[in-house]
Amino acid sequence: MNKLLQDKKAICIFIVPGLLLFTFVLFIPICQSIYYSLCNYDALTPPKFIGFTNYKNLLRDDTMKIALKNSMFFLIFSCVTQLIMGLLLAGLLTNIKKGRNFFKNVIYLPCVLSSAALGLLWMFIFSPKLGINQLLQARGIPGPLWLMDTKGFITLPMWVIGFVALWQYVGQSMMLYMAQISGISKTLYEASEIDGCSKAKSFRYITLPLIKPMVGTAMSLNAIGSLKFFDLIFNMTEGGPNHTTEVLATHLYTQGFKYFKYGYASAIGVILLVLCLIMTGLINTVFKTDQYEN
Amino acid sequence: MKQETKRISVLKIVIYIFFCFMTALYLVPLLWVFSVSFKTNAEIFSSPFSLPKSLFVDNYVVAWTAGKLGIATWNSFLVCVITLLLSMLVGSMIAFAIARMQWKMSKLVLTYFMLGMMIPVHCVLIPLFTRFAKLGLSNNLWGLVLPYLTFSLPVTIYIMTGFFRSIPSELLEAACIDGCSIYKIFFQVCLPLAKTGLFVTGLMTFVANWNELLLAMVFISDDNIKTLPVSLSKFVGPYNTNYSQMFAAIIIAIIPTIAVYCAFSNQIVDGLTAGAVKG
Repeated sequence: MNKLLQDKKAICIFIVPGLLLFTFVLFIPICQSIYYSLCNYDALTPPKFIGFTNYKNLLRDDTMKIALKNSMFFLIFSCVTQLIMGLLLAGLLTNIKKGRNFFKNVIYLPCVLSSAALGLLWMFIFSPKLGINQLLQARGIPGPLWLMDTKGFITLPMWVIGFVALWQYVGQSMMLYMAQISGISKTLYEASEIDGCSKAKSFRYITLPLIKPMVGTAMSLNAIGSLKFFDLIFNMTEGGPNHTTEVLATHLYTQGFKYFKYGYASAIGVILLVLCLIMTGLINTVFKTDQYEN
Repeated sequence: MKQETKRISVLKIVIYIFFCFMTALYLVPLLWVFSVSFKTNAEIFSSPFSLPKSLFVDNYVVAWTAGKLGIATWNSFLVCVITLLLSMLVGSMIAFAIARMQWKMSKLVLTYFMLGMMIPVHCVLIPLFTRFAKLGLSNNLWGLVLPYLTFSLPVTIYIMTGFFRSIPSELLEAACIDGCSIYKIFFQVCLPLAKTGLFVTGLMTFVANWNELLLAMVFISDDNIKTLPVSLSKFVGPYNTNYSQMFAAIIIAIIPTIAVYCAFSNQIVDGLTAGAVKG
């Protein structure tokens, strides 16, 4: 038996295809990307090493500042709202029996749909002449330019896109929390009821501490997801008007594949990667807890 | 006691009202687009919220043929199915070797693959693009399959490792005594036992790749090889004023996933959560 499981040849056959693929499509390109970010590289000339010039230029790039600001806004907004809404929905759903499955499935539905298509859908709902503004106009209220407003530190379009992202992905957080809540033993709640706890109190003192590890998981998923955020913005505003809704991913796309500044775009990519790693590390240390006995 | 039950039922009603509101928030936009997609352009502006007067199917015909969404749907389907099959095979082979076979480096290899989960596709976009252009893989569906496959491997390996570990070792021993080779144990004993895992990972891979936009947009510029999300965003440009066709296009893009979701919604939701919870 052990001889069979230690068969070196079989292990190689099982491992090697995936390992090769992973190395060539993921690992080597990341190294290349880091190298390119230190190069002057565009579509016509081969990469030429120039040190940290790309990063210095990034510091002076106004669009980059906007992109970074918007990405950070997105990160914080989605972590906070997904946590609150996800917990709220999960907490309420576990309390009802009839229709629980139906509501759960409806709220989860947008998670599996194409965000490119949903982005277009919401673009029309928030467009100047259609959707919500048609409803407002019928009542004589002039609707705001939902996706074209440029006033304020965080512009109105960013809030709108944030809302759409929350709408689309809150199902995922909800499901994660629900799975964790349903894993909590009923005896704990019964004991607390005998001790005279109210529902709200047992939520605060039993449910919350026990789902803390899952909060970490859901949050790191959210954080990485919101840093990578591209499809919705690309289809709703394309980073416009005047770059006010640009995020890191759209900025990278524009620089790399509209202006073909490969070196510069690689530098944005490296910053994105570093942010992802930092956020994952940070969330994991904050939410790292001893596993409770469930 | 009586007052207590009364309060709880009021609370229940409030909860139900809240969830009915949420359901409306989720379904009304989708249903609105569905109804608008059957209207003519003039009708959209004159009576946007009523039901369509007649079923104006031309929108769909134009989007499907002139908008090339028909070809795009086929391309998406092809890419997703190939990636799905390959990722199941390659992913579960690695997962089996990590979960069941005895060798020194298994932990290290698992960590190596798990690192892939944290890496956003954006950082490998440019090196991959330039490399694939040299290898003749840009404007080629295989150029999409390779990165899709790579990015779906970490999750597949993660979930399948869990499933393979839960298979009792007596079964493997019995198969071994019966004279099975290691390959036979994998293909004929372990894979059938981990069917649920295959289903879950397959669905996750399929959904993720069906909706993928960025890679497809960068790698494919030929109209006849574009996948669905890409064709959609090009078809629905900012200067296109034929709204009703755009709505039809949106519906074409989301109907397949909605159909699959309706058929398997419980398995999908439970499976995806099971996959994520183990993470």
